[in-house]
Amino acid sequence: MSFLLPCPVCGPRDVYEFRYGGEVMRRPLPDAGGEAWSAYRYLRTNAAGPAQEWWFHRAGCRRWFQAERDTVSNVVMASWWPGSRPSTTSTPAAGKGKVAATATSEPDGG
Amino acid sequence: MVAERLPAGPAERIDRERQISFTFDGRTIQAHPGDTVGSALAAAGVQTISRSFKYHRPRGLLCCAGRCPNCLVDIDGVPSVRACVTPARDGQTVRHQNAWPSLGLDIMSLTGRFDRFLPIGFYYKIFHRPRFMWPLFEAVLRRVAGLGRIDPAARPEPHVRTRHLHADVTVIGGGAAGCLAALEAAAAGARVVLVEEGEEVGGSWRAMQASVDGDARINGLPGHVAAKRLAELLAEHPEVEVLTGTTAFGVYEGPLVTASAEGTLFRIRTRQLVLATGAAEVPALFANNDLPGVMLGTGVLKLARQYGVAAGRRVAVVTDDDAGWAIADELILAGLKVAAIVDARGGEARRSGEERTVPTDPALARQAAESGVEVIIGTPRAAAGRGRVTALIVDTPDGQRRLAVDVVAVSNRPEPVTALLAQDGGTRRFDPGSQRFVPARVPDHLHVAGAIEGVAGDRHACAAGIHAGRAAASAAGFHNADPDSAAAVRERERRAVSAPQVDPLSLGASGKRFLCLCEDVTVKEVEQGIVEGFDDLEMMKRYSTLTMGPCQGKMCAGLASCTQAQLTGRSPDEVGLTTSRPPYQPVALAVIAGPNETPTRRTAMHDVNRPTTSRWVDLGEWTRPLIHRGVAIECAAVRERVGLIDVSTLGKIELSGPDAGEFLDWLHPNRFSDLRQGRVRYRAMLDEAGVVIDDGTVARLGPDRFLLTTATGTLDAIDQWLRWWLAGTDRRVAVTNVTSELAAMNLAGPRAREVLAGLTDLDVSSTAMPYLSAVEGPVAGVPAVILRIGFVGELGYEIHVPADYGAHVWDALMAAGAGHGIEPFGVEAQRILRLEKQHLIVSQDTDALSDPIGAGLGWLVKLDKPDFVGRAAVTEAIERGAQPALVGFMVDESTVPAEGAGMVREGRLIGRVTSAKWSPHLKRTIGMAWLTEPPTADGTRLAIRHEGRTLSATVVTRPFYDPDGERLRS
Repeated sequence: MSFLLPCPVCGPRDVYEFRYGGEVMRRPLPDAGGEAWSAYRYLRTNAAGPAQEWWFHRAGCRRWFQAERDTVSNVVMASWWPGSRPSTTSTPAAGKGKVAATATSEPDGG
Repeated sequence: MVAERLPAGPAERIDRERQISFTFDGRTIQAHPGDTVGSALAAAGVQTISRSFKYHRPRGLLCCAGRCPNCLVDIDGVPSVRACVTPARDGQTVRHQNAWPSLGLDIMSLTGRFDRFLPIGFYYKIFHRPRFMWPLFEAVLRRVAGLGRIDPAARPEPHVRTRHLHADVTVIGGGAAGCLAALEAAAAGARVVLVEEGEEVGGSWRAMQASVDGDARINGLPGHVAAKRLAELLAEHPEVEVLTGTTAFGVYEGPLVTASAEGTLFRIRTRQLVLATGAAEVPALFANNDLPGVMLGTGVLKLARQYGVAAGRRVAVVTDDDAGWAIADELILAGLKVAAIVDARGGEARRSGEERTVPTDPALARQAAESGVEVIIGTPRAAAGRGRVTALIVDTPDGQRRLAVDVVAVSNRPEPVTALLAQDGGTRRFDPGSQRFVPARVPDHLHVAGAIEGVAGDRHACAAGIHAGRAAASAAGFHNADPDSAAAVRERERRAVSAPQVDPLSLGASGKRFLCLCEDVTVKEVEQGIVEGFDDLEMMKRYSTLTMGPCQGKMCAGLASCTQAQLTGRSPDEVGLTTSRPPYQPVALAVIAGPNETPTRRTAMHDVNRPTTSRWVDLGEWTRPLIHRGVAIECAAVRERVGLIDVSTLGKIELSGPDAGEFLDWLHPNRFSDLRQGRVRYRAMLDEAGVVIDDGTVARLGPDRFLLTTATGTLDAIDQWLRWWLAGTDRRVAVTNVTSELAAMNLAGPRAREVLAGLTDLDVSSTAMPYLSAVEGPVAGVPAVILRIGFVGELGYEIHVPADYGAHVWDALMAAGAGHGIEPFGVEAQRILRLEKQHLIVSQDTDALSDPIGAGLGWLVKLDKPDFVGRAAVTEAIERGAQPALVGFMVDESTVPAEGAGMVREGRLIGRVTSAKWSPHLKRTIGMAWLTEPPTADGTRLAIRHEGRTLSATVVTRPFYDPDGERLRS
């Protein structure tokens, strides 16, 4: 992990300044039953792709915020204060890469 | 034999006026400042510098560029240092590695004659049976097949540091392409970092006499002069930081480039990355291709040009490309005698009757003819000689030739250096024309420029560098960069480069042909591996350790793929290359670890505690007094008179705001909103799984103001926990960590009241300040918060004062207590005293599965209040019938069982000791244990396993000392 994470207060910072706080989840109601509570405590989506997560800026402003991160590419699409998530988050173009101009395969006929 | 230095040349780095010396295996080696250890050894005629990994064959300088494993030595106790790139310093002690008893007479070199006993994959095949013998075999093998040896007693000075750099454009590689890319990007306004492994920029130009061409700034200058000109141009740019002598060894997501120089780790965060890592020569696969005297052509040239050292008297240049002819010409200009150029091209074509002109560039042929160099079209078969090349045997269309030479300069078409490209997610493809792997797809933020593209020539390198620099700057947001116009020039130059065909790898010859010099893997062994079924390159890598040695495939990755392809009838593109991982070049672990910046925290009373403290203890980041005058003395003072302990390390958090009480109710299984001002209450916190995660106290200091204490080690986690529960809610609560702001001490013992009374105007009587009261007022003239609580089980006052006054209040209390026999007490006495009261310590007496019922804290849980954190889980635990599991015990004898010792019943493990101490007051060994099954009632007999025997003990559920808490409440 060596990506930058945009803290809503401090701006983009090295991810090592932050503590990962897990997936954003909805807490069940008190009487939701054992299964719902068990799922809340122990089951995670663990998506290979965009995920909404909690982050804490431990070595900075010491505030919790939420971010959407592609867990495969570690591209962070957006970050926001809990409860104030922007309605649309921009999804960056997938880094498909480009073709390098390199030596031609054709013999020069020399 | 002592080689003479060549006459002084214009591109050399050494200062011939001055002499320095070092020792190599005890022999004194004379050198000049500017020499590397390797060049000085070569100048002194030392040919064998190391012994190979498996067969212990003599090895000498090969690449002279820090890329191969041949010159690894131990310098001043640091193992596996590359002699060819390490500056010679006066007084160094250099030793060989991996030879016994000496470099010249290495008994283990006999393994080379019995190599059928060390077949490919020998680790997996032999020595494993009988199984019990393996540890012995392993010990012997480790000694035999080792590289450097680390002296465990050595403590290298930790002069390491980490530098964080931020760049718009980072250029890796300081050859022509890299320098021009850096200059162009900087001209557009970008902040540029240029990373160059060598001591100077200029790349291959540094060792070149021929004039260069490709950019107005350097046109017509001899190569080494053009290199200096590039350095000057870079130095003129304030926005370019040039890191020479610095190796980029990793590219990570971000992108983040990691590089190391002596003692420094660079973490370079960059928007755009230009890879101008060039192309490098690799060995040729003829028999005895590892014999000292067989070198890479660029290595021979570098020795001559930069250090004035002739690698030998007669050189044969072996090549399959025009590049070798150019090197031959440079070697002649540098003063070496080139006897022959052996060009392997056209072998196949010639056999089929087709004519090939070699070399492609007629100017090169003319130069060779003018210099009187013999040109031989043929394939090198073997190097001959004992411990040193004396001849090269060549297969020619007219039969075998034996050339009497003492240096074989291998100068095949260079291989693009693409390892960092692959680390960054780029791909490579095999170019059949050049028979080399070249970049294919590259990430959006990455640009390749120069010889790395598989295209040779100065003009192309310059054009590509200029274009890449502009493209990178433009992509980084510098819109005045104009990449488009440069793109056309680059494309034109690329097309203009004639790319003479190279013949596919031919593996006809026999003898020991080393594919991997690091791990001593020969072509024959790879053949054998394929016969055994390892036809996949990644599998072959793991089986043979090919590409896994110190050079990490720099010498062998391409050759390994081509060999595997040839032997399995596939194309190298299908075989592919082995995975490239950081570090690309060796890096000292100390550099990666960085400086030790672990903070040590000291309390405000650290210095006043110094004279009385006999033992200190590090707890987390804090250093605390463990023992003052003695555990028994300290315990007795607290129980009989009065003691004072520094408890500043307690986590202290102030919660304020109208919703603070409700928030505390939410976070705890018990209530705080009903806590009266001036009162303090015990708190234990649960997580959503109902596990006890922390305990401490909450004092209400005002209508909307609470002081919360946490365990020393959990402060940061609890601070984050509180903030997490506030995030995104509209609770009006402010969380302030006041741990460092307040010093705290606990005055405890039957005479504590009398001591405190002398220092405050407050009424400290038991009616005005009863147990569990929280009072603010002056102590020794300092504003204080006094909490009447007692972790150690006596009449006690936890006194919090501003940290700056901690020492003053401590001294005042000690002075006021002098007449009462006060003693300072440490952590060890405190642990004993609290155990006598069975006061638990969270995470010592509980663990990550401990529910409050089991921990004996069921009395805290108030299910008649609204939802709180952990409520669902603790409700489930109660419904499951959770029972108290944490109990006190008293051992029948004085032996103290270890913490964690198991409790057994009828052969089953039924629990473990969580705390155990000798109690000087009770004159018994006491402890606490977590039992996983009933009975847990008073009087239950326990069997504790301790050091191979069984201790008998009895459960005691109530505190061992003052079970009714009368002293606490007094």
